[in-house]
Amino acid sequence: MSKIIACYKWVADEADIRINPDQSVDITKAKGKISDYDKNAIEAAVEAAGKLGGQAVTLTFGNAGAKPSIKDALSRGPEEAYWVKAAEADQADGAVTARALAAAIQKIGDSSLVICAEGASDTYARQIAPRIGAILNLPVISSVIIMTFEGNSLVATRKLEDSLETVKVELPAVVAVLPEANNPPLPGLKAVMAAGKKPLTEYSAADLGIDFKPRNQVVAVKGYVMNRKNIIFDAGDSVSRVKELAAALRKEGVL
Amino acid sequence: MSEADKMDVIIIGAGPAGIACAYILAQAGKEVLVIERAETPGAKNVTGGRLYTYALEMVDKGLTEEAVLERKITHEQIMILSQDKAISIDYHDPSFNREGQVPQSYSILRAQFDEWFAAKAEEIGAMVACGVKVDDLIEKDGKIIGVVAGEDEMYADVVIAADGVNSFMAQKAGLIKDISAHQVGVGIKEVIELPPDTIQERFNLKPDEGAARMILGCTEGIHGGGFLYTNRESISLGCVLMPEEAAAHGKSVHEIFQDLKMHPAIYPLIAGGESIEYGAHLVSEEGYRGIPQKIYREGFLMIGDAAGFVINTGYSIRGIDLAIVSGVAAARAVLNTSASDQVGPAYLQELKNIELLPTMQAVDGYADLLAIPRIYSSYPRIAVGVFERLFTVNGQKPNSLIKNTKEVIKSNGVSMWQLFKDVLRGYKSI
Repeated sequence: MSKIIACYKWVADEADIRINPDQSVDITKAKGKISDYDKNAIEAAVEAAGKLGGQAVTLTFGNAGAKPSIKDALSRGPEEAYWVKAAEADQADGAVTARALAAAIQKIGDSSLVICAEGASDTYARQIAPRIGAILNLPVISSVIIMTFEGNSLVATRKLEDSLETVKVELPAVVAVLPEANNPPLPGLKAVMAAGKKPLTEYSAADLGIDFKPRNQVVAVKGYVMNRKNIIFDAGDSVSRVKELAAALRKEGVL
Repeated sequence: MSEADKMDVIIIGAGPAGIACAYILAQAGKEVLVIERAETPGAKNVTGGRLYTYALEMVDKGLTEEAVLERKITHEQIMILSQDKAISIDYHDPSFNREGQVPQSYSILRAQFDEWFAAKAEEIGAMVACGVKVDDLIEKDGKIIGVVAGEDEMYADVVIAADGVNSFMAQKAGLIKDISAHQVGVGIKEVIELPPDTIQERFNLKPDEGAARMILGCTEGIHGGGFLYTNRESISLGCVLMPEEAAAHGKSVHEIFQDLKMHPAIYPLIAGGESIEYGAHLVSEEGYRGIPQKIYREGFLMIGDAAGFVINTGYSIRGIDLAIVSGVAAARAVLNTSASDQVGPAYLQELKNIELLPTMQAVDGYADLLAIPRIYSSYPRIAVGVFERLFTVNGQKPNSLIKNTKEVIKSNGVSMWQLFKDVLRGYKSI
């Protein structure tokens, strides 16, 4: 049966990331989680499988620490999990990650749709869907919020700055969804229990023959402090102060 | 009901009680499901805390060695505070930590410990479902036969409530009512991060050693007390107060805790640290007499805090070890009893065999001792006052110790008759 593959990334939970007074970033105490946006991708795959037919599966590229993600991902509805397990995932740039995922997608075989999130909640580099499309020579549709199917075609609504664009594409294709695409429900008891019994396939670097050498190297991660403008509107009566405030906000492009 | 919807045992709550029970049942080949509300076990916990290792060894020999623990407790301390003064007692006993033996107790951080313990139970074959809230119990012909979680129903021969103090499951089963204020204390705890060297220096510890401290006289006369545990890279500091008295007092629980942190004998211990966690929770306060009349019915058992298994003697607090031991007792009862209506009575018998109920009964009197209001107000002041006179040297002729003591007692508004009655009551209680 044709597969609908949801890609996800196991990231450090931003709630546990600490920025020290010297701006250094401490992620040693951070727990892992499935990138929030990728939960939309997984839900989109499950919904698409329901509409299109086929089997929703998950795919991730991560080191041994990503193990807890498998059960979590499967509890959200997909029927099988695939995991490209490699320590190199830590240093991977967008190209390496896309190569790993694309190689796995080829290995998995018959797939009608690959669904990613627009970006990961840690780096938000927005490279994976386009790069997978390029490697596999598939059409890519980004910023998708609605997916419907007509025969073997996908009709996708893209959310642009201030308009909606509808695109039709023959499958197979790669799609990047926005968080607006759906509301992933919390997995229920039976879904959580079933997740532990669903099949997992692990691929190693040797299985896929991937070039893991990243060309981008992260040389530093520092906290960022936004400098505030500290403007106080204290002259005149309240009506004129509010007017001034509104004018200033408009000038900044906030309003 | 299909085969897939039925387990041997369902345990609600993946704390030490629930996991200990699941571990033993899974080890014996039972199909066990543990349902935990938090995303990860321990995530919702606020316990102090300290683990007495005998309990973990009872689950499986050698388990302590693998456990995610903080520091072995080598220093048992009691501190009495009054205004800006403090008396500290530090009991150091190498026999609690002999070479080649499992140390008597460890400080632990529950988020880490519970996660490790649950993973161990899973390794052995228990199923742990996190992020799932149990909404109701399923009852049939007077017997509890399963649970409802959202839209899902699961069935089991025995459902075990390990869902902590103020157990909703026990309420659903009709075994307890909603708690009243006098049964529980409000516990508040902060975890303060400090470098290991700093902690060792401040508490005079070796790198793997730790201190456990109970603090009296820090509650502005309110029934309650403070506690402090040294972890590897942090200090857990907190206090427990009776909510009714606290409400009548005027100062908020948070403010009283803040005053404790700023006390001149406490502040230097935490100075420069960073608060990495702050939480509050209810604590069972009644000991043996707080255990519900019935802790089981057909198809249903209560373990750990859900059954009120907490001991507070004033010099130590025990809950985690009792939770584990009660989980062991429940598992044994399930394994050794075939008739469904006999599991409950067997559990009660196991609790006696395992010495949990006898232990709680033996220290039951401490509740009477700790009910004396003067323990939290005038007596700490008197103790500190006596020490003050003892250590004051100013070139003047000192009074005799007896005279000093009498004066201090009198100046704190306590009559000798009252003191005599309290001592007698204390003597009878313990």
